[in-house]
Amino acid sequence: MNFQLSVSLVIAGLFAASVLAWLLTKLNKALGAWVTVVASAAALTMMALLHGEIGSTVNLFFLQFTLTEYGWFFSVIMLAVFACVSFFNIYWMPKLIHPAAYNMLYLLALTGTLGAFSARDFITLFIFWELIVWASMFIIPFGKSRKASVTYYAFSAFGSLSMLYGILFLYHKFGSFEISSVLQQAAGDPTAAIVAFVTIGIAGLIKLGVFPFHIWLPQAHGNAPEPFSPILSGGLVKAGGFAAFLIVAVMPSYKAFSTNIEFLGRQLTMPLPNYALAILGAVSIVVGTLMAISQNDFKKLIAYSSVANAGYIIIGLAMAGGLSTGGALMHIFAHAIASAAAFLAAAAVVHRTGTTKMNELGGLIHRMPLTYLVYLIAIISMAGIPPMAGFISKWMLFQSMMGRGMAFIAAAAFFGSIGSFLYVFRPLSAVFLGQLSTKHRYVKEAPPLMMFPMILLSLASVVFGVFPNWVLRIISQVQTSVGLEGLTLEGTKIIASNGAIDPTLIVIIFGLGFLIAMIIFLRFPKSRKVPLMDQYTASEFIWTPELLHYATDFYAPFERLYQKAPRTETLYRTIVHKVSELGAFASYAFYSFKPGTVLLWVAIVVVAMLGGSVL
Amino acid sequence: MNMNQVFLGTLTGLIILVFAFFWQTTLSGVTRKIVARFHKRYGPKFYQEFRDIFKLLTKTGISHGWVYNFGVMMALGGIMGTAMFMPVMQFAAFPGLDNIFIYVYLFAVGMLGMAMSAVGSGNPLAGIGVMRALTQMVGYEVPFMVVVLAMVYGHGTASVSELAAVQQTAGLATWNIVKMPIGTLVGFICLLGMLGKKPFETFIAPAEIASGPMVEYGGKQLGMLMLLHEFSIFIEVSLFVNLFLGGAVTVVGYAIKYVGVFVLASLISQALGRFKIDQVIKYFYRWPIALALVQALIVIFLGWGV
Amino acid sequence: MSETMDMIVEKDKKLKEGWEGISRFFRANSLWMLMYCTGCCAIELPQAMTSRYDMERLGMGPMATPRQADVLLVTGYLSVKTLRRVIYAYEQMSTPKYLVAFGPCPINGGIYYDAYAVINRLDQYLPVDVYIAGCMPKPEAVMNGFQDLIDGIKNKTADGWKRYRDNYEWYKKNQVESLGELRIKDEFHE
Repeated sequence: MNFQLSVSLVIAGLFAASVLAWLLTKLNKALGAWVTVVASAAALTMMALLHGEIGSTVNLFFLQFTLTEYGWFFSVIMLAVFACVSFFNIYWMPKLIHPAAYNMLYLLALTGTLGAFSARDFITLFIFWELIVWASMFIIPFGKSRKASVTYYAFSAFGSLSMLYGILFLYHKFGSFEISSVLQQAAGDPTAAIVAFVTIGIAGLIKLGVFPFHIWLPQAHGNAPEPFSPILSGGLVKAGGFAAFLIVAVMPSYKAFSTNIEFLGRQLTMPLPNYALAILGAVSIVVGTLMAISQNDFKKLIAYSSVANAGYIIIGLAMAGGLSTGGALMHIFAHAIASAAAFLAAAAVVHRTGTTKMNELGGLIHRMPLTYLVYLIAIISMAGIPPMAGFISKWMLFQSMMGRGMAFIAAAAFFGSIGSFLYVFRPLSAVFLGQLSTKHRYVKEAPPLMMFPMILLSLASVVFGVFPNWVLRIISQVQTSVGLEGLTLEGTKIIASNGAIDPTLIVIIFGLGFLIAMIIFLRFPKSRKVPLMDQYTASEFIWTPELLHYATDFYAPFERLYQKAPRTETLYRTIVHKVSELGAFASYAFYSFKPGTVLLWVAIVVVAMLGGSVL
Repeated sequence: MNMNQVFLGTLTGLIILVFAFFWQTTLSGVTRKIVARFHKRYGPKFYQEFRDIFKLLTKTGISHGWVYNFGVMMALGGIMGTAMFMPVMQFAAFPGLDNIFIYVYLFAVGMLGMAMSAVGSGNPLAGIGVMRALTQMVGYEVPFMVVVLAMVYGHGTASVSELAAVQQTAGLATWNIVKMPIGTLVGFICLLGMLGKKPFETFIAPAEIASGPMVEYGGKQLGMLMLLHEFSIFIEVSLFVNLFLGGAVTVVGYAIKYVGVFVLASLISQALGRFKIDQVIKYFYRWPIALALVQALIVIFLGWGV
Repeated sequence: MSETMDMIVEKDKKLKEGWEGISRFFRANSLWMLMYCTGCCAIELPQAMTSRYDMERLGMGPMATPRQADVLLVTGYLSVKTLRRVIYAYEQMSTPKYLVAFGPCPINGGIYYDAYAVINRLDQYLPVDVYIAGCMPKPEAVMNGFQDLIDGIKNKTADGWKRYRDNYEWYKKNQVESLGELRIKDEFHE
């Protein structure tokens, strides 16, 4: 085996590192956690260096890997998230029941994602896809709930099996497993295209957490152990985005299905299956936003926001234009970083206070200011506000929706965007701002090794919001490599067919405004500092901070408007009931203990076998 | 963009900022007089707002911590940045680069900064006020953005200065108020929501929640918030004038349109009571969103109004 | 050398005074009042605010919280319970702040001079800038009183907050003597 830098080397190295992590954790827990840190960081550097190897094929035993532009892009984002989050493993070692298994499964999940993104043929893709599900399935019960893992596995199994059906169908039709060639051949054949679209699409949608397959996401992400939630939300759902990218861009679906459809005198801009995806994405945005607004648990809120953002990604991918796919890929990048940073801030809060319920916390900015800043930058990016990276992706998506005149989907997307201000503000106000409770008066700031990855992720959000073209150039290359048109980038400007922005300029003007405001502020008389409990209370004397903290049922008036609306969980529970009723009926009809029923079925089967000639 | 363009653009932006401050503050005072006449009384002097703002800036207020001060600066910085992009008559700091989304989102920076600072003061009434302000934003932004979508789709550009220029070229018949009347009606209702005028004054509500977010502000922070209020009125009304009334080429035309819109909004607000916050959402998600979608469908499918 | 230093200090003082004069001008013409309506005289305030007598001509307007307000209007008698809270509201206001007392009750007790739960002289607990006579004062008297306050601000005679700051111990002694120490008694501090 030659030791030239290649994808197979990285993957083999990660396998070895996972076993090493298991062994070392048995000896010394902290050392085992450090193995995960070092392994993820090393994998990230090696993958970044592998950019030049795009297009070459390597083998690892019977598995074949090839690095494509889009695979490289997804892998680097995933590795960045894994590497940053791995620092938190060190602090969670004492809290986990099986630390050795955790470290090993952590690195196996990473291996799975890398393998899936650089797979050359469908069998490799399937093997590593299942490895991802397996590894994360066993980590989730280390947190609060074992039922969450069951739901996660059930949905993922449904998706994986549907993908397996599609893979085998395509093999039967075209005789090969290689991804790009099979998909491009499928584009020419309508039946194969629709089967591939539906099966691989379902796998992607389930993994991404798009309506109606979003049930598992808040349960799994909300109940997973704290360092693993950012991996699930910022990392592994992007594997679903990868599958969706395969069917929409690599296949590509606009070549497979006809775009010559007339609707009320106007020609549609996308084929109908893409439209179906976009509608699912729009509903997912609305559902995710509304559910996130009504949450009281910090982590479930961010998990529901992942559902909403998955909707944005699917809409962008479904539109399959230059700007929209660029927007979707940039959104994958920006959301991965922002979501990971938000979950890490939540993990830091849990590490210091022990709870994620927002109505029990409050005023933590006075004890943990840096964590507050990290969380603030993360939510500014998630809400799509300049100067962070989330603004760029949202702008690109909105601009392309406006250009195509998709009024209803754009209305849902605007609703999701403004609604995101609501749910991102709630943890900020209930957890960090407001009154400091007496039981948290001596809480300390997060430890420095936790601050390091959080600050890195925040810096990434800021830097790529001010200079997004550094990432957009790579995204443009990804798009041209699959045959879509690239992005028009001129200096620091992003130019679309119906508008242009210059993010650096926006930041400069914002900075200038801030400077003027600061000069006004400093010029006038200094304010005197008063303690936090000295509030306007209509001159009543209150001595308990909890009474002055507004955190419970924060959006009660808005929630009341949709409290009675049906939930998707009810739909699934109804399906489960109907299936179990069917099973009960079958058990009554075919498996009863009454001799008469058994004789009846024996007689029917014998008659059927004899072909009715007895009668 | 080379440094020359950036420098000249910033200079134009600063001039627009100073103009906006003097223009809007005077107009606020004059509107107070007009509203007073509406109430059959005399009202204050026309330069009363200047006196209010400077009085506040010279008081020694209180401070509840660094986020209380920082949030106010971030809010005022964001709003001033947005005001610098706004085209006034035919002057624009960065023509072609002032996308409609910059106004919506840089404005949101201002709102977020103010919300952060208000809740950072530690008063629960501020939290309630911010909750109402954000909920109200969900109400008025979505119909407005759908109408803007219709406009962007029809004209093919999302830059506000270019949309204004398109309407100035061919006179009265090309103004969007004539070509998209339903959209203008929805835009005006959303403007009332944006300005925080009754019936959408829910988030201030002086008698219910003791002025909401502003409950713990005094001294220079409140002065900066009043400045912020003036600049945000300028941005919202200018946006309406540029998008729906065709901007203006002469000072007189601009003054008539701007003053007309603002005084009409103020007078309507004086005759109505205040909604509760769930009534606000129910209101906006009934007729305004329906009319906005109808307008969008008219522009997209029938091609009228382009 | 010392002459130039003196000249600089003089200029600096003149600049400060000039700035003070400007801010006094703004403060006088834009007074925001806190509607802390304690007693019966508060009935006369809505008349002063609305169309017939129109306080807004003077630049005055109502504000919701002490932090935002300049003027605290003590309208009428003050029971011991209310006085404690009025003191809290007065201390929450931002300087420079003024206090206007309505009616005879803050001056010498008014018609409640022999009640056991009412204080007789407000001036011993909080510094008063302007008294308005009348039981209760008609709106014309109220507007006259406000105009007196504005003139007082303009020629520097209305400096109640400075008196409070300089004689803080004396005021506190009087307050504790009449109101007693503040005992916290609620279900969280039993």
